[in-house]
Parts: sequence; C-alpha cells; structure tokens
Amino acid sequence: MLFRMKKNLSRNINGIALLSALGLSAFAAMPASAAPISLLETGSTLLYPLFNLWVPVYTKMNPGVQITTQGTGSGTGIAEAISGVAQIGASDAYMSDAQIKMHPNILNIPLAISIQMINYNLPGLNNVHLKLSGPVLAGIYNGTITNWDDAAIAKLNPGVKLPNHKIIPIHRTDGSGDTFIFTTYLSDTTPVWSKNIGYSTTVSWPAVPGGIGAEGNPGMVQALKTTPYGVAYIGISWKKPVEEAHLGLAMLENRAGQFVLPTVANAKAAAGEMVAKTPADERISLVYAPGAKSYPIINYEYAIVSKTQPNAQVAAELRKFLNWSIDLKGGNAPHFIEAVNFVPLPDSAVALSRKQIAEIQ
Amino acid sequence: MKFPIFRSSLVAMASLLPLSLLALITFLTIYSWPAIQYNQFHFLWTNDWDLGNLYGDPVMEHGFQVMPHARYGIWFLIVGTVASSFIAMVLALPLAIGAAVLLAEGMRKSRAAPLSLFVDLLASIPSVVYGLWGYAVLVPLLGQHVYPAMAHALSFVPFFGGAPGSGYGLLTASLVLTIMIVPLISATLRESINMTDPALKEAGRSLGLSRLEVFWHVVLPKLRTVVIGVSILALGRALGETMAVLMVSGNALNYLPNNIYTPISSMAAFIASQLDSALQDPTNMAVQALSEIALVLLLIAVAVNVIARLILWMARVR
Repeated sequence: MLFRMKKNLSRNINGIALLSALGLSAFAAMPASAAPISLLETGSTLLYPLFNLWVPVYTKMNPGVQITTQGTGSGTGIAEAISGVAQIGASDAYMSDAQIKMHPNILNIPLAISIQMINYNLPGLNNVHLKLSGPVLAGIYNGTITNWDDAAIAKLNPGVKLPNHKIIPIHRTDGSGDTFIFTTYLSDTTPVWSKNIGYSTTVSWPAVPGGIGAEGNPGMVQALKTTPYGVAYIGISWKKPVEEAHLGLAMLENRAGQFVLPTVANAKAAAGEMVAKTPADERISLVYAPGAKSYPIINYEYAIVSKTQPNAQVAAELRKFLNWSIDLKGGNAPHFIEAVNFVPLPDSAVALSRKQIAEIQ
Repeated sequence: MKFPIFRSSLVAMASLLPLSLLALITFLTIYSWPAIQYNQFHFLWTNDWDLGNLYGDPVMEHGFQVMPHARYGIWFLIVGTVASSFIAMVLALPLAIGAAVLLAEGMRKSRAAPLSLFVDLLASIPSVVYGLWGYAVLVPLLGQHVYPAMAHALSFVPFFGGAPGSGYGLLTASLVLTIMIVPLISATLRESINMTDPALKEAGRSLGLSRLEVFWHVVLPKLRTVVIGVSILALGRALGETMAVLMVSGNALNYLPNNIYTPISSMAAFIASQLDSALQDPTNMAVQALSEIALVLLLIAVAVNVIARLILWMARVR
C-alpha cells in the first residue's frame, strides 16, 4: 500500500515530463514506418552529458529506437527506474541494501567510471592547485574550519598566501550521487564525519552559516562562479564550464598520503586497485583506493534498470543499447569517454555488466 | 414536482470548492499520519531535518520503521517562509499602492492605459521566470556589490549588519517575491480606485482638499477592505511560492538566518527540492514527513485567511 502510494506520487509528478516525452517521441516517429520503441533515461546530471553524446549517434544507427534523456539527479533516476516511469535511471550511487531488499528485481549496471573534482573560487588563487584532505574538507563542511587561512589548510599549503575570509561550502540539495561519493570520501577519511553524518545521496548537512545548497551539477558550477570564497564538489563531466569560469581545482590527499589531481591517469590508477574487488551485483564504492597515484574520489556510473520490462521488444532494445554503451567500440569509445573526462569501464567490469544486462527480460 | 436542475447544480458546484479544501486537508492528514505520530510536536520547533542513514538498515523507533538516526524538524523552514513573505509584503504594499494611485489618478488616461497593461502583464508572468531572472541577475549583482556596501553602511542596525553572504538568501528571496506580488496588488487596487464614486472625489475637491488629501481621506478609507483582501491573496502567493524561492534562497538546511543576507529555505521550495531524496527512503517515512510539511503550509495559509477575515469583520463593525 505504502509502496503503491509512493509509486503514484513519483508517477504523478513526472507524469507531465513523461507525457511530453512520449508525445515528442511519438511525433518525431511519424515518418518511420514501424513504430519505434521509446526509452526514457533520467537521473544523474554527471552522466547526463555522456548520454547526450551517446543518444544522437546511437539513434542514428538504430532508427527503431527513440531515447529521451533528462538530467534530474541520481535520486530521481533511482526512484523512476523503480517505479517504471524510466527504463534507465542514471545514478552515480548504487542502491542501498535496504532498497535492493525491497526491490530485488532492480539491477545496478556500471556504464563507465567517473571522477569528482573539488573546486573553489578564491580570487587570485584559482590558478594554484590547493592541497586539501578528507579531514580538512569534513571540517569545512561541518563548520569546524571556517576561514581559508585556518591552520589546518595552511599546514597543507606552505607558501600559499591564503585569504582571511569565511569559507562558503556549497552542497547539493537534490538527491545526488555526487553527494554520495563526496560524503563517502569524508566518511572514509574522517571518523567524526562517519559517526555523525555518514554517507548518502542526501545527508543532513551540518549548519554552516552562509553555506549554500545548489541544484544539480550545473547549479553547483553556477553557484561557485557567483560565490567568491566558496568551495564545491563537481562531477568531472562539468570540467569544461569549470575551466571556462577560471575556478580553482584542488589536489586531494589519497590513502597513501599523496596529493593528486583528478586526471584520467590518476583515476585509472585508483580503478586498477579497486575494480578486481567488484562483486557480481557490482554495488561497490571505489572511493579512497590504495596506491600512491590513486585519485581518491572515483565511482562507477550506474544505469539502474529493472529486470522486468513491460514487453519483450523494450527489453531487447534496452539490452542492445546498454551492451553498446559499455562496448569499447560503442559508447565506451575514446571519443565519447574523453569528451567528458571519464575512464572507460575496465574489461572485468564490462564482463560483469554484460552478465547483468542479459538478465533484463 | 419538477427537479430543480439549475438550483441543485449550482449548489453542487458551489460546495465543490469548500469540499476540495476539506478533502485536501483530510488526505494530507491521513497520508502523513505516521509521520505526525513519529515526529510529535518537536517537528514544528526543532531545526533538525535528517533523513537518517539511507544506506543503513531500517530500525524500529517508537513503534515506527525508520532509517537509523532519522529526525524531522522544520522550524527553520517555518521561519524562512514567514520571514521572506513578511519582508516581501512590507516592501510591496507601499510600492503597489503608489503604483496604483499613479496609474489611476496621477496621469492622463491616454498614458496610463498602456502602462496599466504592462502592470497586468507583469502579474501574469510565471514565477519561474522571476526566479531565473533573480538567479542570473539579482544574485550576482546583490551579492557582489549591493550587500557588502549595505552591510557596511547599516552595520549598526540589527539584522542588517554582519556577513553580507553570497547573494543567495533571505533578502534576495524577499525581493523576488516583492517584484512578483507588486503587480498583483496594484492591478486590483487600480481598478478599485477607478471605481470610487467620482461624486465623492469632486465633493472633496470642492471643499478645498488637495488631490493627495482627497486620496488619503476619501479614496483610501473606501479601499481598506480591498487592500486587506488583495494583500491576503498576495501573501498566499508569497507563502506558497516554490520555484522562484528555490532558485535564489540558498536552500539553507537546519539553521536560522542571523541577518537578512543569510541563506534560507521555504516550506514549498523544500518540498520540491527534497522529494527525490525522500523517495530513496525505503520506509517511506521521509515522504510522509514531507507531506506533513505540506499540511503545515496549508494550515498556515488557512490561518492567514481566517485572520484576514477577522480584521475585515472588525473593520466593518467599527
């Protein structure tokens, strides 16, 4: 009963979006002779730019399928994949054990590996890569480190003249996979954060006076751009607008105590340490990997998909698209993946994902 | 006997409106009942909204299944909603009355007509457009130039000094709300001023009153009920405004504003921004707590209306 209400609620809210999506695709489909299968993708704003590169190319090769994409946040992606509104829920976070228990027919299928940047807007210092650590970021976000020239930040950055100005931490207000991986890093590195706040797609952000909430990755970029002395966590697929706005990019401390930049090479080093540990259902955090070169905040980008689809044609098209998306000659080809600064899915993870995709009926 | 079709259909249509309000309150109460029982009264006056550990396993607390450490308290939302709407009303009323008087009395009809059209158009612009404008134009302008200067110049005034913040916050939200409701109030007022009996005005003028005095002593007292009525409508719109507030308020969580530049959040904006997170809660308590917020918002709106009726009634009795 409760579940049905919940389902109805999300259905109603997204009904309009769905109707317009269906309407549009039906309209666009007019000239084709056979009615095309229509798929709806919604969720992660971090994965959204990649889907936007994929879909035009894929639908040109496969005129029998229409795919609509929406950047609505990972929380919505998971919720709508469960309710059946969307065929593909894009998420940077995997589903919790409790959610899987309630919805055992939902698959978490990695499509690529993403990286998260820590960016800041420090007038005069944005060309310097400040060194930050998990405990320092936890201190900023829980309000124990309030000024940029705090001893804890100064200690990590000898020789940098830090301004005596209040830090404005910016967080996501929508249910977000970026929040999930960021708070996972804070929890892994900082016991007091792990104990009091923990990790999730939404956390109860400690009250930091002046702290701002923003909607989606584009909202984070815009908020940081207009907020001098702010700090924000932003998905790597938004690197271009961040660079165009001349915002600062932090080096983060990894498990080995080294400070590393969010480069593809450093993310590959981290993935190399973690991917072998991936279980069959592929729900695993890749955050805070061991290794001197490993960048600490990377994650699988998931397609949240129900095993049971409304009919066989939809299931077949869905399998075909997902298999294409993780193929090195398809969606994981360098010209797609490099455009959003992602890391291609490693072979062993591709094999696991293919096995999961085969379960979609 | 003939069945009174017209009469009964009128009664049915007329009772639909109050019934739908009752139905809404009943639905929200039933749907959020578990949350109401779980949260009890500290829901209203604690600053503590925490969905709990969504990656943990649900636990039983006070007989309810919730996520570990889940707590729901919305005092900061009530304060944010009421404060932003109140400031907006304080700013909007004089502006709106001034605009209405200017358009109705202060200029020739040929010039006032096109301007009035503009005001009416402004009243019908969707709020998300105001929100976008606030987000793109007001926030950077106020945050980087106006607020620092204001905070410096007014540092001795309570709530006007202190950290000027980033542009997202209480005053910005109030300003966007003000701009939204000024046309709403002034469009209605202008009509009423135009409808005031010209004989009364002429009588005032013939007694030697200036135009301002005529307005103040003759026209405005007649408009008292209109001003109150339209203010309530405008206040209702401000209290329930979602998108525009969401875009410029800074979406503060779990803390109260300490000056007018501080980020806030309102109940309506919070429901919109938190629904997708709440849907992650496998126990469904989070969604029920959100509908409890909706219930509180609805009750506040009803209370505001009742108070307005009382004021009107008292004005008439005297």
